[in-house]
Amino acid sequence: CSFSFFSSWLPQTVPFRGSHWQTSLLAFRASLPMRAQPMKKKKKVDVKREQAQKDRMKKKIKKLEKAAPEMIPIEDFITPLKYSESNRVRSLPPLSFEETERRVLLLKKWCLFKQKQDKAEKKAIQTLVEAQQEALKELRLESEELYQAAIRRDEGLFPFERDGPNYTPPLPGYDPPEGKCIDITKVYTQ
Amino acid sequence: TAAAPRPWRLFGAMCLLRLPRITQPLEKEEEEMAALMGQIELEKSHYSDHEIRKLEEEEQLRRRKESMYDDDDEAPGKTVIMAQDLEDKWEQKLLQFKAAPRITDADKNNDRTSLNRKLDSNLMLLVKQKLGNQELWLLPQVEWQPGETLRSTAERAMATFLGDHIQAKILGNAPYGIYKYKFPRAIRTEDNVGAKVFFFKAFLQSSDFSQAELKEDYLWVTKDELGDYLKSEYLKKVNRFLLD
Repeated sequence: CSFSFFSSWLPQTVPFRGSHWQTSLLAFRASLPMRAQPMKKKKKVDVKREQAQKDRMKKKIKKLEKAAPEMIPIEDFITPLKYSESNRVRSLPPLSFEETERRVLLLKKWCLFKQKQDKAEKKAIQTLVEAQQEALKELRLESEELYQAAIRRDEGLFPFERDGPNYTPPLPGYDPPEGKCIDITKVYTQ
Repeated sequence: TAAAPRPWRLFGAMCLLRLPRITQPLEKEEEEMAALMGQIELEKSHYSDHEIRKLEEEEQLRRRKESMYDDDDEAPGKTVIMAQDLEDKWEQKLLQFKAAPRITDADKNNDRTSLNRKLDSNLMLLVKQKLGNQELWLLPQVEWQPGETLRSTAERAMATFLGDHIQAKILGNAPYGIYKYKFPRAIRTEDNVGAKVFFFKAFLQSSDFSQAELKEDYLWVTKDELGDYLKSEYLKKVNRFLLD
């Protein structure tokens, strides 16, 4: 520290120094202060500074969290670039007129077929429901408590699981070939 | 419960269905459509890695034959596996595999008591029962006893004819259909006019069980074959709640 001038000179015989680093009033600071312990700061300032630091860190964290999280890329929607090269395009002869005609007529037949199938299914479900309603009506005429027991919900019914039919029935005594499945799906964390 | 005795006797019957194990054959339109869809997909697609490899190798082969390369210093010891060879190998492997036949022996013999018949349609259980003085083919039924729900009656019917170790999933507490009939005048009394049979549906879960437990005659039939065994009125009511 530099010279410190006092506005009022106190009547003291002992020459006091401006700070304890200055050895005498008129001398400049000769050398760097060498002490064993580092300078002790006052405790109040410490706490305040640490608090201020913590608050700043918290604000930064809040800002980061507020920012919208990065979307996980859906691998299926991104076509890898190697599949859009031109040598990949198939070269086939153009369709003949008969072929297009055949296709259009087939699509129309399919439309009709599917409509008939759908109507038949709906009719079948309708008769199913009607039959059940009739049965419940008769049951109610018979006895009220049986009717109440019948319309109660069956808890054990759902979840209902069933393996669908295959193309060929299972071969008895078939030993499937051994193999290991290594999962290479990429897992993203948000 | 009404104080007056009910004139109708109640029966609970179980329609046990064995679900199809294989897919039904495609109709003509479905086959044509499937072929068309495959063709369109092929036209709209690009070449895959395997196909590009095949094309390049064919090109190389053609160039070699035309310019008549000296093959000896090209590939002295190494054998190059071509894509075509791979395809042939896969084809061979497929031909070696023999799948189980879709039409089983039971189909050929028309053995109606076996469960292995008609794997692509639903099979239902029919049992020969004695009603009054007649022996009839019916869905297994048992008389309702007071104190149990109709569903448990149906379960009891199933257990009486097939034994306790049947795993069947009963679809709900409510009956699916009803068959009402009046007794012939000889037996009819004031408080015993006729009977009501309530039908319940269940799916058979266990694939094979010891059928030796069945005492009476039984049959597993499809919906079309029901007409051979059931009476017309009964058949009409049963057909209403059966989906083909």
